[in-house]
Formats: sequence, C-alpha cells, structure tokens
Amino acid sequence: MKTWRIGALLWLISILAWSAPGEITVAAASDLTFALTEIAHRFEQKTGNHVKLAFGSSGNFFAQIQNGASFDVFFSADVEYPRKLTVGGLAAAPTLWVYGTGRIVLWAPAGSSLDLKKMGMRALLDPSVQEIAIANPAHAPYGRAAVAALQSSRLYEQVRDKLVLGENISQAAQFVESGNAQLGILALSLALAPTLKDKGTYWEIPTDSYPPIEQAAVIPTAAPNQALARAFLDYVRTPEAQAILRQYGFQPPPGKR
Amino acid sequence: MTSGLTGDGEASAGKRALSAQIRRRFSGGFELAVELEAPAGITVLFGRSGSGKTTLLNCVAGLLAPDAGAICVGERVLFDAEHKLNVPVVRRRVGYVFQDLALFPHLTAEQNIAYGLGGLAVSQRRRRAQAMLEQFRIAQIAGRRPAELSGGERQRVALARSLVIEPHVLLLDEPLAALDLPTQSHLIADLRGWNREHSIPVLYVTHSQREAFALGERVVVLEEGKILAQGPPQEVLRAPHQETVAQLAGFENIFNAHVVSLHESHGTMTCRLENSTADLEVPLSQAVSGAPVRIAIHAGDILMAVECPHGLSARNVLAGRLMELEQRGPTVHARVDCGAIFRVRLTPGARESLALDVGRAVWLVIKTYSCQLLEREPQ
Amino acid sequence: MSWQALALSVKLAAVVSAVLCMIGLPIAYWIAYSRWRWKFLVESVVALPLVLPPTVLGFYLLVAMGPRSPLGRLWLRAFGHTLSFTFEGLVVASLIYSLPFTVQPFAAAFRSVDQQLVQASATLGVSRLRTFVRVIVPLSYAGIITGLVLSFAHTLGEFGVVLMVGGNIPGVTRTVSIDIYDQVQSLNYVAANQTALLLLAVSFLTLSVVYAVNRKVWAL
Repeated sequence: MKTWRIGALLWLISILAWSAPGEITVAAASDLTFALTEIAHRFEQKTGNHVKLAFGSSGNFFAQIQNGASFDVFFSADVEYPRKLTVGGLAAAPTLWVYGTGRIVLWAPAGSSLDLKKMGMRALLDPSVQEIAIANPAHAPYGRAAVAALQSSRLYEQVRDKLVLGENISQAAQFVESGNAQLGILALSLALAPTLKDKGTYWEIPTDSYPPIEQAAVIPTAAPNQALARAFLDYVRTPEAQAILRQYGFQPPPGKR
Repeated sequence: MTSGLTGDGEASAGKRALSAQIRRRFSGGFELAVELEAPAGITVLFGRSGSGKTTLLNCVAGLLAPDAGAICVGERVLFDAEHKLNVPVVRRRVGYVFQDLALFPHLTAEQNIAYGLGGLAVSQRRRRAQAMLEQFRIAQIAGRRPAELSGGERQRVALARSLVIEPHVLLLDEPLAALDLPTQSHLIADLRGWNREHSIPVLYVTHSQREAFALGERVVVLEEGKILAQGPPQEVLRAPHQETVAQLAGFENIFNAHVVSLHESHGTMTCRLENSTADLEVPLSQAVSGAPVRIAIHAGDILMAVECPHGLSARNVLAGRLMELEQRGPTVHARVDCGAIFRVRLTPGARESLALDVGRAVWLVIKTYSCQLLEREPQ
Repeated sequence: MSWQALALSVKLAAVVSAVLCMIGLPIAYWIAYSRWRWKFLVESVVALPLVLPPTVLGFYLLVAMGPRSPLGRLWLRAFGHTLSFTFEGLVVASLIYSLPFTVQPFAAAFRSVDQQLVQASATLGVSRLRTFVRVIVPLSYAGIITGLVLSFAHTLGEFGVVLMVGGNIPGVTRTVSIDIYDQVQSLNYVAANQTALLLLAVSFLTLSVVYAVNRKVWAL
C-alpha cells in the first residue's frame, strides 16, 4: 500500500524536474567577459534558463576539458583549441563555430603622457615605458597575436626585456590599468568594456601586422545539457546577440554574414 | 678569593645588612607584609609552603615589585615605593639559587659558573670560575653538562654560579631539599665555610628544622605572609610561644590544660590536662589557679622507660600504655596513653634494646623545661 | 629543462628565509614575552597570510606596489621603477606571505623556554638582549630551524602571490611553479612533469638534510 505513495511522489518530482529551468555552464575566454555576460543575461530573460559563466584563459579551459571538466559550451579566444578538441574526439566537429574575430590594441592608462594616436607602435619605444603587459604568448591567443604584431613591426627584440606576461588577457589588462605597466597590448573587447573604457586610451594595431584572431566556440561531448547548449549557441548566432558582440569589439568572422 | 672583608666585625656586618619592609598583595587575597633586618650571616626563613617565603625572596631579588615599602642592602637602596625607585634585577647584585636550580642545560658546569662574569676579560673569567670549582670541590666535572651531574654536584654548581659574581646578598630557596643526608651535611659545611669568609646577608629558605639549627644564626618564622617570630633558633624553634610556630617546629604534643596549683618557690606550677587524669609540672607563668593554658612538648624531648624510674631530676613521670609503634625512616614514632595521648620519638636502637611492643606498660619522663607554654590564640 | 626557473625559486626561498629569520626573531620575541593587552591584535595580523587566499594577497600587493599608492610612489621616486615585476617585489610579497610560518614556530619555541632560566640570567646581571642570545635562542634551536624550513619550503612552492605580482619574466620572476603552470597551459606535459619532479626532489632533499641535522639539537 505504501509503495504507490512513494511511486506517486517520485513521479511528481520527476515532472517538476523536467519542467524546472535548465542550467548550462559556459567556459569562455577572458576577453568575452562583458560581451557574453550581457548575451547570457538576455538569454536567461528570454528562456527562463540559467547560464553559469566561467571566464579565464582558453588554454586553461582546454586542459580542464581534456581532463574531464563538464562544461556545456566552450568559447575559446582562438580556433585551435576547439579544433584540437574535435580532433581528440572531445567535441563534436559540427558544433564548432567561429563566432567572431578579435582585434588587439595598444592601451595606455589615463594620465599617460603618450599620445597613442600620433605615435602608434613607436610608443612602445618611449623611454618612459619600462613595462609592457601582454598575455602569455605560450598559451593565450591574444598574447601570440601581440608578439606577432611586435615582430612584424620589427620591435620585438627591442622591447622583449620590457615584456610582462599576464596569465590571461584580463590579467594583462589589470597590470596596465593599475599603472604597474605603462603600456599594454590588449584585446579590443576589453578596451571597450565599461570598466576600462574611460580609464585610458587605445590605438587599434593594424590588422595586417598579425594573423587574424579567429575565435571559435564548441560543444564538448561531455556537456551535461547538450540540448540547452545548442539552444544557447543558436541564440548567439541571432542578430541581436551579434550586435552585442560587435558593440564589444568583436568583428564578424571572415566570410560570414 | 676573599673580597671586602674588613675585619671590623659587628660594625661592618651592620653596614652590609639587608633591611626590607615589604607589602605585596595578590589577586587571590594573599598578602605579604613583613619587616625584616638580616645582618651579615645566615638568616633562616622558616615556614610552610605558601607562607610567602619565595615571594619575599623574589621581592628582594627584584623579580617581583612590592606594592609598598623599601629594600636596602647596607647603604644601597634597591627599592623605595615612596620615591619610585626600583633598581632592575640585572643591577641588584643579588645571588639567587632557585629551588629548581635553573642551571643552563646547554652549558657545561664551568660555563654555567662563568655565565655572570661577562664583563671581565676571558682569562680572568676562567681563573675565577676555576677557583670557584675548586672551592666547591667540583673541578673534576667542569666540562660536563647539568644532565650528566648528580644532585649534589648540580647544587654546588648552582651555588658557585651565584657566588662567583660576588653578590651583596645571597638568596637560597630550599637548596638542600632534594638531596640525601650525607650530601646535605657536606653542602652545609661548605656553605658555612664560605659564609665565614665572605660575610654577606644570606636568606636561607627551608622547612627543615635540622637545617635551621645547623645553619641559622637567626630564624624568621613566616606564616600566611606575616612574620610570627624571629630570633636565635634555640629560642624560636625550641621555645616557641605561638602555636603555629610550635606546630611548624615539630612540637607534636599540644594540650589544653588548666592550672591546678602554683609553686612560686620552685618556679613551677601544676596543670591538669583537659579530659584526662594526667598532671604536668610546667614552668611558672603569670597565670592564676584555674586559668586555662596551652602546653606544647616536643616529641623528641620525651624519655621512655620500661620500669618505673627513680631518682631522676625530671619532675614529670607518667605511667601509661604503649598504643602504637611505627618506624618512619630513621625515627620510630610512638603513641602512649597516659590519660592523654602523648607522641614520642625514639631511635630504632632504643626500640630494640627495650623490646618495645604495643600494649606494653611504659613510663614517660618529661622535664619541666621541655613543657612550652603557648600563647592562647584567639579562636 | 627549466633550470633557470628552479634556480630562481631556490634563490627566492633562500633570500626570503634569511630575511625572515632576521625580522622574525624580534617579532617572535615580542609576541612570546610581551604582556600588552592588545597583543592579540598583532598576533592576528601576523597570522593573516595564513587565511587569506594567496591571489587576494597578491592582488592587493600589486595595487600597493603600483604608482597610484603612496608606498608605490615612494619606491618609484627612490628607485626609478615600481616594485612590481621585479625579484625584489617577489621577495617583499613572499616575506608577507611566509611571515607566520616563521614567526609562529619561533614564538612557540621561545615561550617553551623555562622562565626560571631567564630569571636566573637576570639575577646574574645579564641584560635582556644578551639573555636572548645566550639562553633563549640556543634553547630554541629546534623551533628556529622549523620556522626557517617552513618558510623556505613555503616560498619554494609559492604560486598565487607570484602569479599576481611577478609578470612571469624569465630569469627574474618566472619561478618554477609559474614555469610548470605555463608548460601545462602550453600542453607540454612532458616538460611540466620533469620540472615538477625536479622540484619535488630538491624540496625533499632540503627537508631531509635539515631534519637530519636537527636531530643533534640539545635533548632537554
């Protein structure tokens, strides 16, 4: 007699669980901090589902996913890490999607005597510049782009000793924003972010001096909530979300409209 | 090695005397309130544990500051509450041998002794330390650490360490307590020898009467932070007037009695012990017939006989029965019922030669002058 | 093989331990013997690095070293550049981070020295400073060595604080822990494992030597 009561209870709970709001965990590169927070917020409002965001270095997330971390979506700052995941069978190739192109800028804190618009890359050679913050090129795509830009401008050898490496692009931004470094090569998306916008000046480094920073997202095969993950990615493709990306300095992916 | 001995006896002894008026209250309610004059020579501080002896030493040494009073050695003022003068410990030149000795475990005997001689040249330091080692007959253990020394050797090192700095006052806190009898006797002899040479005030804390008698030219009895009695040991400890002192001094027989009759021409009076039929003839006092008295007799002052003795000078011969016999260490303790219970101390030899046994009929012999009249303390 | 990073870490740990020994002794002495009623506040401040996340500590240190803080400006004026991203900056950060690991064992050792020995030394006319040197310190060797070893090992393995204020400059602030992290990030797992193993070996060797020597300290 008791068993049917328990059965009814379980059935009720499962119904509630099924109709309860879904939740996904999204791992994203630091440069997406502001753009993706806003996009996720809109998504939550629209669908009533919950999006947990984790920002950090792409290399870090890549290693974690390789070792079994259960993120639902991975927004990398490059295209290599997602590609490696699909090759290794840890993500489904069809889910790989280049969501935008990143740009790097030269950034100086407010109060700096350097006129970036006039000096451009030559600002890096100014004697007042003793530390230049970039993301660690060993594992951060924006760091690699920064080094590429320095090399193509033939400035790398001269400024090499002044380079200070941030664990990710956000830390590089923090170094220069706090004044500990006098200049930084940061992501455009960070320079446009509300927290940095009025704290300094930036100059867009010519895009022909570094390979394009294609940034891709992918859904790992170990994602706990595949359906919701796909729904989220679909939302990011919408013009509404794309506009937000644009607003934060992400250019449309080459060849895509 | 003699220092500062001028040879003019009394005058210089007075010049170097320790004079202390100390009041110190503790949070638990205990209060030390004493006024003390200790001339050059050994003054024994006698009392129970907790009576304030160590506190007194600590005040003289400067480890504890009194609430009020003054401490002087000769003309040097060490402490004066009124003038807010408090000479710090390191400048007092007070030698202090703690109860636990406090030898530095990581230094050798010689290094311990030389520890306080920092201001001297190395060669002088060694010479003085060596001389001390020889004087205390411990030269052979100079290179050993305290953990490797016997109790007596450690005691000597502690003494030598405090004396080598030529202090103006020496404080000894129960220095012989943990030693066996032969070692104690040796050390007492050494100390007396040293004292003859140097003549500084020495405060010697003990609760052993034997030490008090062997060493003390003066005894000061402390109880609950106050001085009960002071004077030569024969007076204070053998003829106590206060009950507490009597108890401390080992007077195990203390009786209530009342005066029965006075014998002025003999200088004695007869007293009947309370709740008994026993009478004692004691020295005459100001009491009147019928007045209550309190009598104390030292257990070691009572003679025991197995047949009724005759022709003795003692005025008190009491017949009784042996109730209890117990050997504790080198002494035999006996209890005899003569109408009142008397405690008697005998040697084991006496017990054997008299073939004493419980239940035996015995006679106790007590001299008049062995009976001490105590002040009746207000209850 | 990141010998440079390992050498840097060892150098940092050695320098920090040496400096901590010097500043730790007086601080520990004060903590052990002072009877100031607000002493507990000082003890809490000293112990703070134990409970603060290293990254939080590192972040605030970075701000303090930067040109916007009064301390940072002072340093800038004196030396022409800020403390951040320098070896000296790592030393300062590590001093704060490892302070309790030195001070606490020191203070515990001092407190456990029999007070009567200190009193005896005073009655023999020896000043407080000399008593400290001749009695308290020799009888506290075990605690002092423990404190030094702990701060050495702790600094050797430091990551969070160095990450925040170091800037990852090879030969200057790229310590071995940052180096291993970098290699993992760059997917050079083989190199990462090799460096990690080397670090483990060096740490174990150091600790073994110290504990072996420490056995000869006075049996009290």
